[in-house]
Amino acid sequence: MSFLRRKRLFIFLISFIILVALIGYSISERQEASTLEKFFNDTVGWIQSAVHVPVSFITGIAGNVSDLITTYEENKILREQLSQYKGLIYEVQELRKENEELRKAIGETDSIRDYEPIHATVISRSPEQWIDEVTINKGEHHGVKANMVVITADGMVGKIRTAYEFTSKVQLLTGFDQYNRISATISKDGKNNIYGMIEGYDKESKSLVFRIIEESEKDVKEGDLVVSSGLGGVFPAGLVIGEVKEVGFDQYGLTRTALVEPAADVYEINHVIVVDRSLEEREEEVEEQQ
Amino acid sequence: MSRVYIPLILFVLLILEGVSIRFLPPQIAAGDLLFIPHWILLFLILVCIFYDKPRTYHAVIYALIFGFLIDMIYTGLLGAYMFTYGFAMYLTHILKRAFHGNFYVSLLLAAIGTALSDIVIYVIYSVIGFTDLYWTEYASVRLLPTIIINLIFLVIIYPMFVKRFIRWRDEQDWSS
Repeated sequence: MSFLRRKRLFIFLISFIILVALIGYSISERQEASTLEKFFNDTVGWIQSAVHVPVSFITGIAGNVSDLITTYEENKILREQLSQYKGLIYEVQELRKENEELRKAIGETDSIRDYEPIHATVISRSPEQWIDEVTINKGEHHGVKANMVVITADGMVGKIRTAYEFTSKVQLLTGFDQYNRISATISKDGKNNIYGMIEGYDKESKSLVFRIIEESEKDVKEGDLVVSSGLGGVFPAGLVIGEVKEVGFDQYGLTRTALVEPAADVYEINHVIVVDRSLEEREEEVEEQQ
Repeated sequence: MSRVYIPLILFVLLILEGVSIRFLPPQIAAGDLLFIPHWILLFLILVCIFYDKPRTYHAVIYALIFGFLIDMIYTGLLGAYMFTYGFAMYLTHILKRAFHGNFYVSLLLAAIGTALSDIVIYVIYSVIGFTDLYWTEYASVRLLPTIIINLIFLVIIYPMFVKRFIRWRDEQDWSS
């Protein structure tokens, strides 16, 4: 009996050591996922995309009914907005043409605003809700790489954490911490823009924390639109992040921070666009120059 | 046949867990409360009570394998679910000897198993820094809703599988 008890203790201790070793391995800074992880994620991802279709059809029915009830009201508002947009489209086209011509004139054709969209569908969401992660059905094979930004029609939702061969993991904005900063800006008419960094997600106020680095003559107001500035080198410029909700000081009272409400709803995402910035990062050249 | 069916059902549950948030109404899903599906664990608790004999450890082995798959596919933190599920199943295996296998015992063991594994996962995650919730807040925001939603799931799957498990267990005797 004493042998059995000792054996049990032995197994428990060994499994505890294995647990610590595995956790240590998975939180270490890995660039690439292991082959085993790639294999299982791709295999399961393939089945997930098959299961996703009937499930979203069934769960969609309930959503459709509530949509129908509000359709009439929405239609009224949309029609009003549509008439305003017609004028706007003309203006945008003219500006775009002018911009292109000016760019040609100075010989710079690539802009940090340009990007190649990769359309993808969300096939699953991590059941562990402390890990804000969704899986999409496009991977390295389709040109997705780690750290690319992911947007929906409303705005930014996250970035690629790991890309496998045919699927990838998207880290949502709600799971951003201080290691996932986004260089962002608030555009001010006629004056200098306000620059800063999105430094993580505050779970209590349900908003992103925007730390202002460079102030402008004009002050930040509630309702100002925060967009990516493209200065971080990975994300293209001009992607909508959210609206300013509240302005205050940080915990030391030295810099000002704004709470930003994300523009996109991270709980109901189905179709996303992975943004591949056209202008390549020129990091190597910069290093050589130094 | 049970050798094929049980892993297959577990695999289906593994995939359904990934879309589980869609089964909740959006107002609840976007709210403060966290509902974590531990469907694989609950299914294995039924396997442990009604299919496993005192000397077989099918449920523990399946818990280790599918816990590892959850880690790989959904969390990226290897080992956490594997260790937790394996540990919870082993405890269920010991506890079930003290009871007769019936509905109320399953409910009790499921509640204990879910609570235990969710708490162990909370401890592991807070040690690593994935969450910084205080434990009283954790109990009301995540632990209670999770236990309740998982017990509801158990009530749904109980009538579907129990008779089959008992039949499969008796078939084991024939084949061995």
